[in-house]
Amino acid sequence: MSDLDRAIAQLRACRLIPEAQVRELCYKARELLIEEGNVVCVDAPVTICGDIHGQFHDLMELFRVGGDVPDTNYLFMGDFVDRGFYSLESFLLLLCLKVRYPDRITLIRGNHESRQITTVYGFYDECIRKYGSANVWRYCCEVFDYLALGALVLGASAELEPSGPFYNDTTQSTMSTTDDGELETEVLNSKGDVTMSTYRPRQRSSLDNGAPSPTRDPATLRTGAPGTGASSSGAGSYSSSRTGAVLCVHGGLSPLIDTVDKIRLIDRKQEVPHEGAMCDLLWSDPDEIDGWGLSPRGAGFLFGADIVKQFNYKNDLSLIARAHQLVMEGYKEMFDGGIVTVWSAPNYCYRCGNVAAILELGEDASNGGMVTRSNGDIGRSNGILTGTADKAPLRSPGRRYRVFEAAAQDTRGMPAKKPVADYFL
Amino acid sequence: MALDLQPPSERKRVKVYELKENDWFDRGTGFCTGKIEHDEPRIYVESEDKPVRTLLETKISKDGGYQKQQDTLIVWTEPNQTDMALSFQEAEGCAVIWNFVNNVQQHLLNVAAGDDALSDDLEHLQTVQLPPAELVNLPDIDHLMRAASITQAGRDALSKCVIRDEYIHKLLPLVTIAEDLESLTDLHRLCNIMKSLILLNDTTIIETVVTDPVILGVVGALEYDPEFPTHKANHRQYLADKSRYKEVVPIRDPNIRRKIRYTWRLQYLKDVVLARILDDPTFSVLNSMIFYNQVDIVNHIQSDGPFLKELFSVFDPRSNDAKRKEDAVQFLHQCASIAKNLQVPERATLFGNLISHGLFAVIVFAIKHPNPAIRTTGIDILVALLDHDPIMMRSYMLKAVNEKKTPLTDTLIDLLHTEADLGVKNQLADAIKVLLDPQVPLQAAMARAGPEQAAKMRSNMLSDAFVQNHFDESSKRLFAPLKRLENESGPYDLTFKDVALYSHLVDILTFFVRQHLYRCRNVIQNERLAAYVTLLLRVPQKHLKLTALKFFRTLLSLQDTFYQALMTHNDTFGLILDIVYETMPRDNLLNSACLELFEFIKREHIKPITLHVVGKYGDKLRNITYVDTFQGLILHYEQLQGYSEEADTTLYSQEETPVLKTTHNGRWQGVKEMDPAEEEYFNTSDDEDEWPQDRATGTLVSQVPNGAVSPSVKSLVDYPDDDEEDNDAMDTKPEPEIEQKDESKQGEPNEGAPTDDAEDPPSTPIQAVQTPPERLSEKRRREEEDDDELVKLTSGPKRRSSTSSSTGTAGLLRKKRSGSIGSVSVTDKGTAQATTNAAPKRIAINLSSSTKAADTLDTTADENEKENQNDGGNGEG
Repeated sequence: MSDLDRAIAQLRACRLIPEAQVRELCYKARELLIEEGNVVCVDAPVTICGDIHGQFHDLMELFRVGGDVPDTNYLFMGDFVDRGFYSLESFLLLLCLKVRYPDRITLIRGNHESRQITTVYGFYDECIRKYGSANVWRYCCEVFDYLALGALVLGASAELEPSGPFYNDTTQSTMSTTDDGELETEVLNSKGDVTMSTYRPRQRSSLDNGAPSPTRDPATLRTGAPGTGASSSGAGSYSSSRTGAVLCVHGGLSPLIDTVDKIRLIDRKQEVPHEGAMCDLLWSDPDEIDGWGLSPRGAGFLFGADIVKQFNYKNDLSLIARAHQLVMEGYKEMFDGGIVTVWSAPNYCYRCGNVAAILELGEDASNGGMVTRSNGDIGRSNGILTGTADKAPLRSPGRRYRVFEAAAQDTRGMPAKKPVADYFL
Repeated sequence: MALDLQPPSERKRVKVYELKENDWFDRGTGFCTGKIEHDEPRIYVESEDKPVRTLLETKISKDGGYQKQQDTLIVWTEPNQTDMALSFQEAEGCAVIWNFVNNVQQHLLNVAAGDDALSDDLEHLQTVQLPPAELVNLPDIDHLMRAASITQAGRDALSKCVIRDEYIHKLLPLVTIAEDLESLTDLHRLCNIMKSLILLNDTTIIETVVTDPVILGVVGALEYDPEFPTHKANHRQYLADKSRYKEVVPIRDPNIRRKIRYTWRLQYLKDVVLARILDDPTFSVLNSMIFYNQVDIVNHIQSDGPFLKELFSVFDPRSNDAKRKEDAVQFLHQCASIAKNLQVPERATLFGNLISHGLFAVIVFAIKHPNPAIRTTGIDILVALLDHDPIMMRSYMLKAVNEKKTPLTDTLIDLLHTEADLGVKNQLADAIKVLLDPQVPLQAAMARAGPEQAAKMRSNMLSDAFVQNHFDESSKRLFAPLKRLENESGPYDLTFKDVALYSHLVDILTFFVRQHLYRCRNVIQNERLAAYVTLLLRVPQKHLKLTALKFFRTLLSLQDTFYQALMTHNDTFGLILDIVYETMPRDNLLNSACLELFEFIKREHIKPITLHVVGKYGDKLRNITYVDTFQGLILHYEQLQGYSEEADTTLYSQEETPVLKTTHNGRWQGVKEMDPAEEEYFNTSDDEDEWPQDRATGTLVSQVPNGAVSPSVKSLVDYPDDDEEDNDAMDTKPEPEIEQKDESKQGEPNEGAPTDDAEDPPSTPIQAVQTPPERLSEKRRREEEDDDELVKLTSGPKRRSSTSSSTGTAGLLRKKRSGSIGSVSVTDKGTAQATTNAAPKRIAINLSSSTKAADTLDTTADENEKENQNDGGNGEG
């Protein structure tokens, strides 16, 4: 058993590793993260997770529900620390897993991965409390500076495989796949029971909630579809059945960033600034407004459906996945499914009473495993807009949400901060 | 008789119902009366069949939610959350009972409202009368407390009752009894009761809780949290452990000793026992109690001369008690961390006292200690002092230099060079940064210290030359290890330790350059530091490369001819381009950092650099095609070459954008208003022979190709009025008046952007930057907002969306204004630099021949464009 495996085992048991080992770990992580682009490319299948906020036992529950590393590929969208009482254990475990299985787990930066924020919301205090000095905090903050700002999930399948052994509602499944089209989203509880499914309908007119825009129509509609009442743009030919990429960022979009490539021009190794593109990516929120709005958070912006639609169209994206906002149901799709908020800290702050969710995107096997690199590092755009006029419409990836609650109390112990050891005054 | 209410004595025939699983369950028929027993208003129903049997006995409480329905029905909720109903045979009977209930409630509410004038009369009503503290009553007690906690009045009444009856003391034996009986239910109730008591948020109650006879009982009950029924905490074990309190030198005052103990318990309550359940008011009550205790403790300690003497005598070199010395360091560390929370005058006295007793010696002892943990602690104390008053610390240090003693900086620098523990090294670097930071002048310190102190300080005052000299000497010492890079065949086999040291050194140097570009010129020039940092661009360690890159990026952002010349001389850009080549087209942090640097040159149209880079490395640039940054640079270069005189307007107007933008990249925050020291520097440097760098700069400028359009020109272009009026002044040195003038003009829309941007092919990024997110907000506000976030989000999205839609436009307008303020101050900076570095005469000529009219036009056009983009809401249109 290597030191790293031992450290992982120890952290899984919610026991801290020695300071020297943390330093070593952070050093290794830095070497690894420096090689990552500002936007990391990740191939499906992948499980996308939102805020963790130091809720270690709930992170364990997440792994129980979503599958363990390295069996499942994970993408965590930041905010690992602060608020909860086990920021150190949570972040160090994730970092250990990152170093141990670099290709299996992706960590991107959240607005709480910052010196300023952590000194206010608990991580700094926790480090002092648990290690006696700010050293570990410093090491971690150094790693924060190297974390990627976003990720691009490529090659996600448009169609969900109905979730096999756990699938209870068999009648509905057979009925609907034939009648309603292919399975588009599915919500499962922590036991693996399907609680809700949506399908891509055949007729656009029969769309109900979560209605796909024309760009998301299934391939079966290739012929005869144009002009059937689509109000939005892009009613062109349905020549492609590929899904667009999924952009994952902690917060959202920035008025300074109109293409994914622009994110690559940021020198990210710095404290999260108070303004500018990098700040916005980590702080912005979608909202029911037109265009851009001032964020009540005092950093980042609010952005509306039109912004998301344009950004997705321009960048060949079918979905933006983000975290950053508590949603009571664990996930929330907005703007015709153009953006989704994923929140993975159940009973946030040990008292909000919310459930958490993770988002699974399946692998598209139809293309012989070949991945269409939209905005990947190959075939990157040359900066001048080309051919935006006749882009093939993209389909949204099939989305499986696993919803889970806070870890059972007998597995978690009482969440509490660690007391100071000795005192003089 | 407390209640002067007449309970209805007539018996009314009634049916009693209980709600069970959504069904009204008939509990029988009987006769209903109202009674007051032990000052408690109650409703009784005696069975019709067997008069002995009581169908219902209930106390009328304030918050039972009593309702009268359909003339014959009274419905309410029992304390145990059961819904009950009385169905009367006659409406008249119902009215009588209802009347009684109503009156009682009225009464209870009046009392709860806590009208002080009446409270004496009403107090013996004992609206919150707690049943005797017995196990059987625990459910009632629990319920009563919960119920009373709902309103502020109820809480006050309950607090009074608890304090008067010493109720906590009465509850404590129950914990032991319940534990002996292993009655988990009772323990859970006790836990709830204790929680309620503490959350009453009453200082007296909390003070009682932490006293010796009480604390263990209270936390004992709190060990049995019903939310975690299978767990038991071990608070008692922790708090009973007397060995946790360390006493280096005995504190004689028993009062203070008690305070120390209580404070510790309060902290434990706050951080551990109650961490999960604390509401904001209780949290702040606990915090303020801790704070006031700490003030008392610290005041006592610092006023106790003999105590301090004994404390510092622990460090006597003749003493061999190493453990005691370590403990004493820890003790002082705790003093220092407590001091952080104190108010400035109190903190100043404390530190002053400690310093006069020899705190510096202790720091030196600690930072040379073989144990890294003690070293860390030592530097923490130092950092606390530095945070408190960097000027004071610097003046102590300079005094030591003046007295030919080894200054603390030298010690720190030597340690930084040799320190093996990376954490300690990190802290050392931070401390050195602050201690050597030449930004804050002594005069300002004097002004702040008041006349008396100032007189004292004046005697210690050292000339600016001396300060500069010390800075130079220390920097020379500090950066000396960089020279080793030259001796080694190539910077390719650095040890782990070297790498850490170099990255700290470059980081410090970057900090100095950003904070104060003039002070470090000497050392950068004389020690050829930039050349060494350039070497680091070739090391295999990527993060070190990145640090070096950051240094040059900072130099670039200063837009200073001296530093630009440094970069063009050392083949710096060649090496940076090498990194691009090594990494491209892979997408990684180094690559992005390089691209950002060139993107910055392109965006800001830094002419000398563009000319240098494209002129010298044109072929290299042309081969990088995977991003359009370099094509853009080449294009800009060709424009510079192609047009000369006629193109001036275009060029100038293009250059106005950078003035606006520099504020947006977040890196400019280091540049502040010009401080007196800097001014003094300007005032003196011209005449003194010992500062050769100005002349050096002069020559460097002339070496820059096409020097006529050195970047210093552009900053001035924005202020034609000022320039005309103040030309003479600016020939020599910037006066404070100029600054003020500029500030008064901030309202003017001078952040013009080029109209011809649209025709300019590589202008896409510029357009994007034209709606930059300028921020009014500061960190504090964000914290508050983020704090709100939780509340806000749990309470639903309404508030957010409404704010956003209404404040959207106004906010953006506000932001814009703040942006222009920023740009003005930056321009001031540029102006100041320009006057010392470049030839001002030429600037004047350029001005007169160029852009006044175009400027305004451009500005309006730009304003419109911005407006459109803001309203339209998207950058790409």
